[in-house]
Amino acid sequence: MRNKKLITAITVISLALVLAALPLLSSACAGPEEQTLKIGITTPSTGPAAEKGAPMGHANLDAIKYINEELGGINGHPIEVIWLDNGYDAAKVVTNVKRFQDEDALLFGTSSSKMMSAVMEIANRAGFPGIVAFNAPVLHRPPQHIYGQMPDYGDDWTAFTRYYMENVWKGPGKPKMALHLLNNPTGYGALDAARAAADELGVELILPAEEHTTDTISEIESLTRIKQQDPDVLYISSTPAPTALIMKNAVEIGLYPGVTIGLGHAGITKALVDIAGADVVEGVYGVFPTVNWGDNVPGMAKMTEYCQKEHPDDYGNMDYITSWAQSLIMAEILRVAEQNVGYDALAKGGEEAWQAIETQGIQKLNYDVEGLHGPVVYTPGDNRLSKSVRIFQVQGGNIVPITDWIEAPLVKYEEFDWFGQ
Amino acid sequence: MNLPSGTRNYTYAQDMAILRTRTHWALFIGFLLLLFTAPLYLGGYWLGVVNLIGITLIAATGLNILVGYCGQLSIGHAGFIAVGAYTSAVLTNRLELPFLVGLLCAGLAAGLIGLIFGLPSVRVKGFYLAITTIAAQFIIIWVINHWDVTGGFVGIRVPYASIAGFEFRSETSQFYLIMGIAALFTFFAKNLARTRVGRAFIAIRDNDLAAEVMGINLLYYKLLAFFIGCFMAGIAGSLLGHWIGFLNAEQFSLTESILYIGMIIIGGLGTIIGPIFGVVFIRLLQQVLTVEVVPFLERTFTMLPAGFATGVTPMLFGLVIILFLILEPRGIAHRWALLKSAYRLWPFSY
Repeated sequence: MRNKKLITAITVISLALVLAALPLLSSACAGPEEQTLKIGITTPSTGPAAEKGAPMGHANLDAIKYINEELGGINGHPIEVIWLDNGYDAAKVVTNVKRFQDEDALLFGTSSSKMMSAVMEIANRAGFPGIVAFNAPVLHRPPQHIYGQMPDYGDDWTAFTRYYMENVWKGPGKPKMALHLLNNPTGYGALDAARAAADELGVELILPAEEHTTDTISEIESLTRIKQQDPDVLYISSTPAPTALIMKNAVEIGLYPGVTIGLGHAGITKALVDIAGADVVEGVYGVFPTVNWGDNVPGMAKMTEYCQKEHPDDYGNMDYITSWAQSLIMAEILRVAEQNVGYDALAKGGEEAWQAIETQGIQKLNYDVEGLHGPVVYTPGDNRLSKSVRIFQVQGGNIVPITDWIEAPLVKYEEFDWFGQ
Repeated sequence: MNLPSGTRNYTYAQDMAILRTRTHWALFIGFLLLLFTAPLYLGGYWLGVVNLIGITLIAATGLNILVGYCGQLSIGHAGFIAVGAYTSAVLTNRLELPFLVGLLCAGLAAGLIGLIFGLPSVRVKGFYLAITTIAAQFIIIWVINHWDVTGGFVGIRVPYASIAGFEFRSETSQFYLIMGIAALFTFFAKNLARTRVGRAFIAIRDNDLAAEVMGINLLYYKLLAFFIGCFMAGIAGSLLGHWIGFLNAEQFSLTESILYIGMIIIGGLGTIIGPIFGVVFIRLLQQVLTVEVVPFLERTFTMLPAGFATGVTPMLFGLVIILFLILEPRGIAHRWALLKSAYRLWPFSY
């Protein structure tokens, strides 16, 4: 009995000591203070979106490592990253962003539209600028302090539908388009665009749209309903795991091949091909706002080198490119702002520094992102920093670009009375 | 109440007092001082964590009344929190009603919805009741996502809380609002447990058949427990909405509901101090793992396979909870009771 109590006490105390000692060890190992520029990055590296969040977090940090080690930081100032996992949990991401503010981060970035939607009001209220990789209309319309690294999910739909109408659809009249959407801004961003532009582009929407969750285990029922409507094209705006499941189910019920399938940029990644299998997704179209691995652009060699050295498992994953580019953009924002207002103004932190980052950094951007995605230029009234996407197709298990860059026009969603409903 | 040796109650008032001795009062006042001066020594981030703890505590205390005191298992608590959050958001944003109206209506709406989903508790209990409350979780979130008024999948903005023209904009002012309400509900729950209603809840939990034979109206008291538990969930939801400023139904997941159950089990079911311990433990564990341990592992152990450090977070989180349930299944509150008992009897432990 005494032994049991002793073991219990030792186990509990040891665990508590280990947890408490880790951060102390961390601070003990830190070197002398440098004149750094702080940024915050939070990714869903665990939880239901980890298949995207983990490689994106790796890419963010690898790119910063490259900038600090090979480029000497920003005008001589190393970038100090406060990186926090958010587990795809709204409560966690809220405290993460408060931590960034508290630690005088100059701006913050996240990969996920859902995570950004949970914190955008906190950031907007404080005037704390944030960059979101995967963008949704609700995050930047009306424009405030959140900036989209890439075009939003609605832009994906517009670009794909335009491509489909010009290059794929050969029938008479209007093609019937079904939508299968993730039950969050990733999915419903596409619906917003469809409602805004379906008539103009000449497609007939099958409504109501079908929806699914990130942890869905079967979409046979919803796809059967879609099949009964005899669609010509199915558009899926979701993350890779549910998209893979939908694709498998579509093949099982004989919906695909047969209809044309288009994917938004959150879904068409290497993870999709890995999870669903190359034969299942063969021929599927997708929209993506970055280049592909192996493309001949200036930034490819260094990114490939770091990816293969630091996180070889992520090689071939397009999400890695997105977040590598996000870190480059955040670094460029710091560089431009530092050049315009000086290090001391930024080092103070707080609201003045955030304002300087926004007005003298983000809004003065004109950067080609080393060719990794469309150029990043701020246009007044449009918080999408990059506005270009390309259409891809899965061919022989590879995701291959089939168009040049297509610029997505700005849609002022807030002018539609249904926006946000 | 267990009192120190030599302390006797000579009046009814003394017998009913929550704080009985000078030491009790000194410790209590010290705790309040420590708590309410927190903005002086905590930064914005930790104040944010404390605010989250306060909001979670209100909801967990409500769940503890329902599960810990009345024995009605509910795994849809996040759904009821969502009802409160959205009610307050719609009333203060779309209808521009005052915050206090939104807050009160949030509690009432969640309480009423809780009553509806509590009705099956008259016929079913245990796992069967758990399934009906899971249904509540899914139905509520589905309605929120598909109802124009709530903003659907896009979500809805929530203005700052304000009372009599004063807007709770800063983390500090929000802290006082949230902690004030959390203290109020903890006090309410403490007293409720000692009333006729609280004793009826406990009788139902221990043996509902025997309770009915004793004349306790099962329908009334079970529904009352659902109403009170969900009312507090609604209040917590309203505060959460005004604190975050934007609501999306994904913030109220089934995982969150299960986490609430975990909190009250780890803290200690059927005690008022249990939810406090459970909420503080879980929320701090989340923060420590996320903010300190994982970044440290990522930086230090670069030789580990990619993603190992981040993958270790949920493992550590699960491990700590499992160890807790194995080593102290009656919760931290029980350990606290043992500690107090040892203090009272010291140095004569037998």
